[in-house]
Amino acid sequence: MIQKRLIVTNRLGLHARAAARLVHLAARFKSNVSLQRVDGGATADAKSILNVLMLAATSGTELSASAEGIDEAEALAALSELFSNGFGETEK
Amino acid sequence: MTDQPKRNLVEERWRGLGVSEGYVVGRVLRVDNGNRQVYRAALNEVETERELQRFQNALNGARRQLLDIKLKAEKELGPEHAYLFDAHLLMLEDRNLRERVETYIVAEKANAEWALRVVTDDLLAAYSAVKDEYLRARGSDIEDVAQRILSALTGTIPQYANLTRDAVIVSADLSPSAVAELDLQHARAITTDAGGWTSHTAIIARALGIPAVVGLRDLYRRTRTGDTIIVNSYAGEIVLHPTSATLESYGKEFAPERKPSGVSFTERETGPLRTVEGVAVTLRANVELPAEFASVRQFRASGIGLYRSEFLLSQEGVLLSEDEQYRAYLEVGRVAGADGATIRLFDLGGEQLHGGFGGERNPALGLRAIRFGLRHEDVLRTQVRAILRAAAQGRLDIVLPMVSDLADVRRARVIIEQERERLGAEGKETGVVKVGAMIEVPSAVILARTIAAEVDFFSLGTNDLVQYMLAVDRGNDDVSDWFRSLHPAVLRSVVDVHDAAAAASIRTVVCGEMASTPAYAVVLIGLGATEFSMTPSAIPRVARVVGAVKHSDARKIAELCLACATPDQVEQTVREQFLEHWPQLFSLESLPAAKPR
Repeated sequence: MIQKRLIVTNRLGLHARAAARLVHLAARFKSNVSLQRVDGGATADAKSILNVLMLAATSGTELSASAEGIDEAEALAALSELFSNGFGETEK
Repeated sequence: MTDQPKRNLVEERWRGLGVSEGYVVGRVLRVDNGNRQVYRAALNEVETERELQRFQNALNGARRQLLDIKLKAEKELGPEHAYLFDAHLLMLEDRNLRERVETYIVAEKANAEWALRVVTDDLLAAYSAVKDEYLRARGSDIEDVAQRILSALTGTIPQYANLTRDAVIVSADLSPSAVAELDLQHARAITTDAGGWTSHTAIIARALGIPAVVGLRDLYRRTRTGDTIIVNSYAGEIVLHPTSATLESYGKEFAPERKPSGVSFTERETGPLRTVEGVAVTLRANVELPAEFASVRQFRASGIGLYRSEFLLSQEGVLLSEDEQYRAYLEVGRVAGADGATIRLFDLGGEQLHGGFGGERNPALGLRAIRFGLRHEDVLRTQVRAILRAAAQGRLDIVLPMVSDLADVRRARVIIEQERERLGAEGKETGVVKVGAMIEVPSAVILARTIAAEVDFFSLGTNDLVQYMLAVDRGNDDVSDWFRSLHPAVLRSVVDVHDAAAAASIRTVVCGEMASTPAYAVVLIGLGATEFSMTPSAIPRVARVVGAVKHSDARKIAELCLACATPDQVEQTVREQFLEHWPQLFSLESLPAAKPR
């Protein structure tokens, strides 16, 4: 299993559209991917939109992403890119 | 009209806000957001197995519905409005939801409806505890999805899928998915108890060219499906159970206009529209949604006079990337053709981009439009770059919304020039873009001459001008008697702005709902207007009148109006003079009514 710290940078946080992009991306990998709030809050299965929305991750929230499986490195790299480009939204 | 004996059908009237123009007599079709009551059934082993299968079938059915809705929304409203249904689809496919419901069905030997209700309520309870207000509101999406599965389970097709020809949708409020699901080709009109000028209902009704009146308070619960109803958005009026006398008077007034105006217009020879004395008048189109693009050609608009770019944003206020905007503007330019399109920069404020900047006590007077763009320069620069790039392929101009004075114009022009240079340095092609100012704030009216010296054209936004000039909120019923488009102060502003533009040899386009009412358009022509931009569906009826009036008559009447001291006197003058000069064009009901204050 590998882990990585990610920060939500887009202004509206992990709202419906951003969460949908995240879930679509995570679903492309075989590995289990999860996200946990670094402040000790909820953990979410990154392939479940309901779970992801429940993180209530607003802009600036720090998350710890973990992936476990045969493509874990690729999964985390892709996730990391999505977070760093603000989920493809213009507003940061 | 078959009267239902049990009910005492007395004619009743409601006043609301007409947000999409037109007049219709039809039958009420009540549309609710479909929330269903759910009961618990106790199952045996065999039934439990069957119930799991039933739940799976319902998920499949709901999924097919959502895919259809998403496609329809993409096509009719544009991709940026369809993403919401992506999120709904993911919720539907969420194994978290499915597994919890299945586990509950097996463990509790419960029916699928009950299991779904329990699990959804559990999720909703967790959501309501979320601190972030914006994310908390996502709970309504979960409920929307749950209701869709429930309706698939009970096999009820959405009650409004098949509309009769004369259906008038009457609703307390319409959720985005309910609107997207309506059989829009057959709806004749829409009314909602809630809502304002920019509600989803209003936007969609305007896109479809059907009348809509919103803000009707309690109409929904006072109606039954099948009731006869008149929707007259010109007056913002609803008449329920109209008497035969009312129907007759309405019929007489509106019958000739109901559809043939479009026919006569398409038969009009091509070439510029002229008044009887040969003064050229240009009619352009106001558009916001892709669904309206076809109507630009259909109604023979001379290009797009006002493209409200903020409708590119999804409802969540997520801004599109430069490339996404670039593609949208390319399409706008293509639709407008040789006559070109004027793109109004985002007329946004905190209320549209809630979450990040919101919470203003008085958003109409707040950080919105060009002020917002100058404060959040990245937003403005992204939009400007996209327009400059698209202008290389089509004729596009920029208009700055809500300009207060030259300072706004100068700052915006610096940014536009900087981005043009930057794009040049990046090796990207840009086109020539004229820059105009929206004149809608009273200070800009007073300073019109100085502003005219540094812009390429004026757009006179009558909606906001009337609102700001008279300090009246057009959405507030309590002050609707003070909202007077024909106020002497408004008329003088129109003259001053046109004079200022003429002195600087720039043109003025009058956009705003005022221009789309034929009688008002004639008054505006008398005041000096020659170029208008309006809802495309209004073009035929305005063209018909413009082509039939003598310009010198319009001038004379406008002079009389300018001499009036009160809006009542102006309206009375318009009534008397129009009936005297053009009895064949105007009847009393198509002219501003006497309104005692």
